[in-house]
Amino acid sequence: MKYARPAFVIFVLLTLQTTLIADLQAFGATGDIMMLLPIAAGISGGRDRGAVVGFVTGLAFDLVVHGTPLGFFALGYTLVGYIVGAMQAGVLRAAWWIPVVTAFGGSVLGIVTLAVVGEFLGFEHLFDRHLLTICAVVAVVNAALVLPMLRVVRWSMPLVTRSGRLVPT
Amino acid sequence: MALSSRGGRSRFTLVLLILTSITVLTLDFRGSSAIQSVRNTASSVFSPVRDAASSAFSPATNAWDGLFHYGDLEKENQRLRAEIEQLQGQAAQNDEAKRALDELTKAVGITQWTTLPAVTAQVISGPLTNFEHTIEIDKGSNAGIKVDMPVVTGAGLAGRIVEVQSGRSVIKLLTDPDIVVGVRLKTTGDTALLHGQGDGQPLVIDAGIDPKVTVPPEELVTTSGEDRATFPGGVPIGNVSKTELAAGQLTQVLTVTPLTNFERLTFLQVLLWEPPQ
Repeated sequence: MKYARPAFVIFVLLTLQTTLIADLQAFGATGDIMMLLPIAAGISGGRDRGAVVGFVTGLAFDLVVHGTPLGFFALGYTLVGYIVGAMQAGVLRAAWWIPVVTAFGGSVLGIVTLAVVGEFLGFEHLFDRHLLTICAVVAVVNAALVLPMLRVVRWSMPLVTRSGRLVPT
Repeated sequence: MALSSRGGRSRFTLVLLILTSITVLTLDFRGSSAIQSVRNTASSVFSPVRDAASSAFSPATNAWDGLFHYGDLEKENQRLRAEIEQLQGQAAQNDEAKRALDELTKAVGITQWTTLPAVTAQVISGPLTNFEHTIEIDKGSNAGIKVDMPVVTGAGLAGRIVEVQSGRSVIKLLTDPDIVVGVRLKTTGDTALLHGQGDGQPLVIDAGIDPKVTVPPEELVTTSGEDRATFPGGVPIGNVSKTELAAGQLTQVLTVTPLTNFERLTFLQVLLWEPPQ
């Protein structure tokens, strides 16, 4: 039961990403709302949660895409979730715009991370001018959606203390 | 102390997840049948959900296309009208040339790619991510499609089948840098290797053309179809738009503008032709 809500959220995001988001192209690039989940999890729950959610989300995405090897997104999103979570730990006071800026920066970092992973795996021509367009589109979409996504993350993966109490967010 | 142990646990989790990802990647690269089977099953299970969601979202995606691609469509419409007029003029000449070619190829015993059996299929999904150059079509092994079969449009070569399920197939597009095609220049007859450079980028020939060869402007590039080629011969690919000498000047680098519009693929033909083993 503990995992039902996160599984449902991943399923809905996967459906949205592979249908609506994939079709709504801007300047030859598409948004990446799958990446937004580990970013939001990293912001709300720290690096551990960011990494684990990134791994599971990436693996689910890997299973339904065809052009990249299995594990590509799992590895990329794990790193993104962890880094965003680690960055967020250094922020002392939360203002509403901090998650927006973090999502923007985390998305750029995520795309560059995926491109670096791709280069290691032998993909060619990833670091070209089009990568800037991809970074911009993904970052803008994720920055726009991060606040509702944070609510979704808090609903689906509430933080609890060792005594089982909910951590106020 | 507590902070340090928490940091250690975090790093342990991260290392564990990275190692798991790398293991899965390695298994996939080694062509593990278990991984392929899991992926095919997941894809088959998820496909009906995607189909239903795609239908539900189609009004929104159509509206988006109308908003953001209206200008492109208008320009394309004008260009196509002009091309139709030009093509109508050429059609009569081509009929005569085709008759002569049919007689000659019959006499010599060459198979033309246009005479190969083909399956027409509709594109049901474009690339799902920014890091892939694949599309999905609505025909699969039930229609006789197999992995490695070439895919063409009315204009020319589009790609190759890389994954087949019963009712759908995945095509790797010619723009993918991983696809390398043996090609022939129409007038000079030189053979070379062509590959893609990613979405929206022209194709490139960067091996096989001697610096002394004079390549005419707009030279037509077709598949070479040489012995053990992965594509049948004579399939048009594109026109040479730029020539330059490679560093070291041992070969020419030709930029090729593809005849196929990879951004607007709707219907495709899968040639039921398998490359020789």
